[in-house]
Amino acid sequence: MDSFIKLSNFGKIAPYAQLFRQGLLVTVLLSMFTVAIGFVLALILALMRMSNIRPFRALAVDRNGHLREGGPLVWLSKFNPLSFIATAYVEILRSTPVLVQIFIIYYGVFGMIDLPSFQIFGFIKFNRFFPGVVALGMNSGAYLCEIMRAGIQSIDQGQTEAARSLGLSQTMNLRYIILPQALKNILPAIANEFVVIIKESAITYTIGVQDIMSAVNAVKGATFIIIEPLLVATAIYFCLCFPTSKLIAYFERRMSHGDKR
Amino acid sequence: MATSDSLIQVRNLKKHYHRGAIKALDGVTADINKGDVMVVIGPSGSGKSTFLRSLNLLEEPTDGEIIFNGVDITKKKYVDASGKKVKLDIDSLRQKMGMVFQHFNLFPHMTILDNMTLAPMKVKGVSKEEAEKKALELLDRVGLADRANAYPIQLSGGQKQRVAIVRALAMEPDVMLFDEPTSALDPEMVGEVLDVMKELAKEGMTMVVVTHEMGFAREVGNRVLFMADGKLLVDGTPEEIFENPTNPRLQEFLSKVL
Repeated sequence: MDSFIKLSNFGKIAPYAQLFRQGLLVTVLLSMFTVAIGFVLALILALMRMSNIRPFRALAVDRNGHLREGGPLVWLSKFNPLSFIATAYVEILRSTPVLVQIFIIYYGVFGMIDLPSFQIFGFIKFNRFFPGVVALGMNSGAYLCEIMRAGIQSIDQGQTEAARSLGLSQTMNLRYIILPQALKNILPAIANEFVVIIKESAITYTIGVQDIMSAVNAVKGATFIIIEPLLVATAIYFCLCFPTSKLIAYFERRMSHGDKR
Repeated sequence: MATSDSLIQVRNLKKHYHRGAIKALDGVTADINKGDVMVVIGPSGSGKSTFLRSLNLLEEPTDGEIIFNGVDITKKKYVDASGKKVKLDIDSLRQKMGMVFQHFNLFPHMTILDNMTLAPMKVKGVSKEEAEKKALELLDRVGLADRANAYPIQLSGGQKQRVAIVRALAMEPDVMLFDEPTSALDPEMVGEVLDVMKELAKEGMTMVVVTHEMGFAREVGNRVLFMADGKLLVDGTPEEIFENPTNPRLQEFLSKVL
């Protein structure tokens, strides 16, 4: 019987090392862009969800100027279109498989848009890489939105009251008082999302992004060896994720230490 | 209507919760005159904090009027001098009312100096040099100039509250609102904060102070408001309140706290 791993097979796949090096770079770049897009998207979504725009606000008051007790008009008066859109987006993205989302973005959206087919660093195909980043970023934005909302809501209401009583507008309050504190609190969570994306990005090989997983596939196709390239990929992913999460945990401890009285 | 030196006129102010089931404020009427040191006392849940917070609209009143600088600030729009309907600018209004909170509410991610210069610079457009000069002068007055570059976390409670007071003063407000400024302090730090407030009163600042410090009310206040169950029961001088109280609720309250 054949043994599970043949050391000689590692020798056979050694000529393809360049593919893994390129795959590593793609995976890291993909994850960084994804978190960047996800972060901006999440911030917008979180602010939309917490906004207080109610176009039918006036319906809550009856002809005599008193607040209505209940009924459909009260329900309508509470309707916030921005918050509704953001909530719908977050719930749909979180309740469907990321693979389906990637296929819809790649075949659906970018099937209609012709992307330029140049190559970054001479080997990253832009028309594969870009849809991958967009799809993962949109997915990550939905998850980060909830983290960000929690981070903003965790800031004491007294901070807003102090800022507003000094004459700062709601926008200034967000920019100078709430967001700097909230972002510091959720920085570890955002860094953790980076680690999650490194692992999740493996799925983008299905649309031809040349990441680590795609290197495995290429080696398999050329040599008919499967287990050994997978083990190489495993080692690379582990070496990326494990130290990064340990580093985050270390900084998290350091930062919370500074908060203690 | 009111006398010319009245700064804020409160008319039949109401704040209801749960569709009127809870009446935090049940028709309060009072005039705050320039130079007044108005101390609001009363049992907890009497609505005194709600009253104070309504003055700069941190609480939106359910009904009634608050006339500040000739404008009813409870309405979203008002008619200006030229007869035009304009939107109420709540931010420019709040600049003129400094507020000091029970829990200080300093911004923990900024130094003391930045805490004090943020609003003057961003809201009033004062230059950085000017804002810092003013901030340091104010800090010097409360004996904290040497802590300008410290963070709030490095300060004691009394120091934090003194900073909070001068932070509000840096906006040069017309009136200062104090919401139980000494309630969260260790007993030995109460004095230093009250001293700053006394100093402020002496300089003629208009102040509305919600407090449990009866000594302060008696000594510094020129008017004392006694509230219970959302109603203003007694509005009088410290002598009327403390020496010969006639209202039975007030007598009962004073017998518990004095």
